[in-house]
Amino acid sequence: MKMADRIKEAVKRFQQISLSSLFVILVSVIVMITSVVSLLIFVNLYRNDMEQNAITTSEQAVVQVKNTVFNYTEDMNDIMQMICANIQKEEEEANNFFSNLLKIRSDVVAVTSYDMNGKILKCWTNGQKLKENYIKNLSYVRDLPQEEGILNITKPHVESLFVDYYPWVVTISQNMQDANGNTIQVAVDISFYNIADYVDDVGIGQHGYCYIADDAGNIVYHPQQQLIYASLKEENQKNMENGTYIKSNVIYTVNSLQNCDWHIVGVCYVDEMITNKVERVVSSLVVILAIVLAGTVFLGSVFSDLFSKPVTSLVRAMGEFEGNSAEFVYHPVTGTKEISALSDSFEHMAVRIQKLMEEVRQEEISLRKTELKALQAQINPHFLYNTLDAIAWMCEAGRNEDAVEMVNALARLFRISISRGHELIPIEKELQHAQSYLHIQNFRYKNQFRYQFDVDEACLSYYCNKITLQPIIENAIYHGMDRMVDEGMIRISIHQSEDKIIFTVEDNGVGMTEEQCEEVLKKERSDRAGIGIKNVNDRIKIYFGEEYGLTIKSELDEGTCVTIMMPKVTEGSYEDK
Amino acid sequence: MKTNRWRNRILWMAFLVCLVLIFCLTAFHRPILNGKESESSSDQKHKVVFIAKSTVSGFWKSVYAGASNAATACNLDLTFEGPKSEEDYETQNQMIAKAVEDGAEVIIFSAVDYEANADAINDAAGKGVKVVVIDSDVDSDAVSCRIGTDNYDAGCKAAEAAMKDENEEIHIGIVNYDKNSDNGQKREEGFRDSILRDERAGIDAVINVLSDTENAKKRTKKMLKKHPKINVIVTFNEWTTLGVGYAIQELGLKDNVRVVAFDSNVVSVGMLETGEVDTLIVQNSYAMGYLGVETAYKLINGYSIKDTIYTDTIAVDKENMYDEECQRRLFAFEKSNKN
Repeated sequence: MKMADRIKEAVKRFQQISLSSLFVILVSVIVMITSVVSLLIFVNLYRNDMEQNAITTSEQAVVQVKNTVFNYTEDMNDIMQMICANIQKEEEEANNFFSNLLKIRSDVVAVTSYDMNGKILKCWTNGQKLKENYIKNLSYVRDLPQEEGILNITKPHVESLFVDYYPWVVTISQNMQDANGNTIQVAVDISFYNIADYVDDVGIGQHGYCYIADDAGNIVYHPQQQLIYASLKEENQKNMENGTYIKSNVIYTVNSLQNCDWHIVGVCYVDEMITNKVERVVSSLVVILAIVLAGTVFLGSVFSDLFSKPVTSLVRAMGEFEGNSAEFVYHPVTGTKEISALSDSFEHMAVRIQKLMEEVRQEEISLRKTELKALQAQINPHFLYNTLDAIAWMCEAGRNEDAVEMVNALARLFRISISRGHELIPIEKELQHAQSYLHIQNFRYKNQFRYQFDVDEACLSYYCNKITLQPIIENAIYHGMDRMVDEGMIRISIHQSEDKIIFTVEDNGVGMTEEQCEEVLKKERSDRAGIGIKNVNDRIKIYFGEEYGLTIKSELDEGTCVTIMMPKVTEGSYEDK
Repeated sequence: MKTNRWRNRILWMAFLVCLVLIFCLTAFHRPILNGKESESSSDQKHKVVFIAKSTVSGFWKSVYAGASNAATACNLDLTFEGPKSEEDYETQNQMIAKAVEDGAEVIIFSAVDYEANADAINDAAGKGVKVVVIDSDVDSDAVSCRIGTDNYDAGCKAAEAAMKDENEEIHIGIVNYDKNSDNGQKREEGFRDSILRDERAGIDAVINVLSDTENAKKRTKKMLKKHPKINVIVTFNEWTTLGVGYAIQELGLKDNVRVVAFDSNVVSVGMLETGEVDTLIVQNSYAMGYLGVETAYKLINGYSIKDTIYTDTIAVDKENMYDEECQRRLFAFEKSNKN
């Protein structure tokens, strides 16, 4: 479970990765993969190429050495023929020939002739003294094979015939018939002097070389012969057929001489050459890779500055706009052409939306105001009929004074109601309005209720919405007093508190349930024309804001108290409303 | 904002890491290139000084051949020197001091005197010169590598050869050289330990002679006269071998006295053939020289090395002297025929 959660988290984190990091990672990975793959391909190609190259060089070198050594052995063969021709001659002539030969050919150590039993017949040297009793004669080959065109060459050995003189030589032997028809063997001991010259200087690659081996792979001559004799080095190539042999890191190239059992072997250390160069290439590639990575990281940050960062701030701005469009202030984002275009468009859109929203709000307000004003203009017709009925009745009864008072009150009521179309009127006027209304109603509901004003004189000069008190009083009369048996009491007070004006209309009528109170504040008055309590509340809220308006407290059989809160408004400050 | 800052920090970190990487690579890169350059340029060779016991004996010539071959292969500047007399440790000490002065990085050293050479070697090591010991050891902890014959084992081989004697009693005379020379003492010790297991054997006389032919011959003659019963003589280096050989030759005792000797040169091989000397214990001197210089090269370049390298020895007598293996060891391979 934990593992799964962790993986999920990692995936989530990866999904939340920013664009520039993604860019850096992607480019790095691509560069890395390309470099590694190309390196591998390169190394492989290079290796093959180098190997081919090494083989070719090796082959060429070996052929060259072969040709020189071949010429040398042919030369030796010629000398052998000369020796065979001269050995039969008169003693003096032969001695002359041999002393000259040994002088000219410094690589010929000794020329010896043997009888069939291996006994030395004659021996010519460059002044060396023959041992009286030699232990072993390494120059004599018993049962010499006879093959046309093939030189008989021994393994390298020490010259064992002379006193205090032990050079390393190879012996070329040949059988021949002497004047008496006896078979004699002629042996020429040759030092490595010349052969060394031919072989030593041939290099293949940095550490490659050539050596000469016989059929069994035994070394005849090696540039490092001493190391081989000191057991510090050995060669492992035993197959002496012509061709190229690749052994782990060494290439052996074998080429055989036609006239003897010698083979030229080229040794070439490919791996050394290749690994050396590949190492260099790898290290420079690693440097390049590091530079590319650094460059990528740098580009990533530039990319982030140019694209990712502006996008992030755009996204943030959009979030802000979504959360609070009304008060949103847009700071333009700079960046690439696309980003600027996006930013500009968003700015235009935001401004446009804000403008539209404001327009809609304003339209709604003015619509509402118009609606409310239209309602204000309406007069409850029943109230008018009843009042006019009452006045008519007074006139008939000859109560002229009362009738006059009534008509005056009615006139004041309407005058204030209209107030030349102003919505806000001084509280004094509103008070008069309420008084006129109460006056009229008091005539009609004779002795059914009493009323009382408690007014802070300082409040009178402030302004308030017109027809604020009348609907509440109306409500108090119709709902509170109408059905009451006892005499009702309506108390109206106007006070100020800090920056507010507080109106209260209190009655001791039947009261309302909580549901009724809410209903009064919510429901548009439908039964009768005129202004309802909701209308009053709405108007106050529209004009002064949500914190102002009506609150109703009521208890059944105890009475109702309506409180109206309004800001202190002076003349002029709301003139235009 | 927080993630932004965090990401920026990571980017910077990555950038720094890359920079460090580049720096490291170029820093590591350069020495490799420099190493190659210095390898190819000939004027800045590392200096190695080889101080031998002698420069004239066949043994040391062969060591020198190996050493100079290795010096060519490793591209080192090799100086090979040694005192005229094989007892002259003072000259050796001077040579050590001079080598240090001349800026040798490695001294390859074969001590005439196990103790008397120690201070000079310690001084040199104190100055940062690495020391490789060849053939004959010196009493110092500063030696990086010791190369040579397992002398005790070589002594045992000599004993084996001596035990081939068919006489009922083996009377042995030991002709050794300088008592302070470590390798001679080890050979003698090995020989004694081995030979005394044979009931027939008894050591009649031990002489320590100077390491030169004349002195050895004289002292050997004297010893043979004093102890006429001696039928086996063992001697432990090239010069004493010749001395003993000549003594036997002059006294005409080649059929009566079995001589087991050390090292080879043209003369001692001749004696082996003619019978004055019966067995030669031949060391792989060429390998010693080569390995000595190769080890010096490894020390200079900081490769790991073994602290002891033993080179092999073979026992050569008349019967096997012309076997391929023995030929190779007895006779130096020289490319030119100029004798």
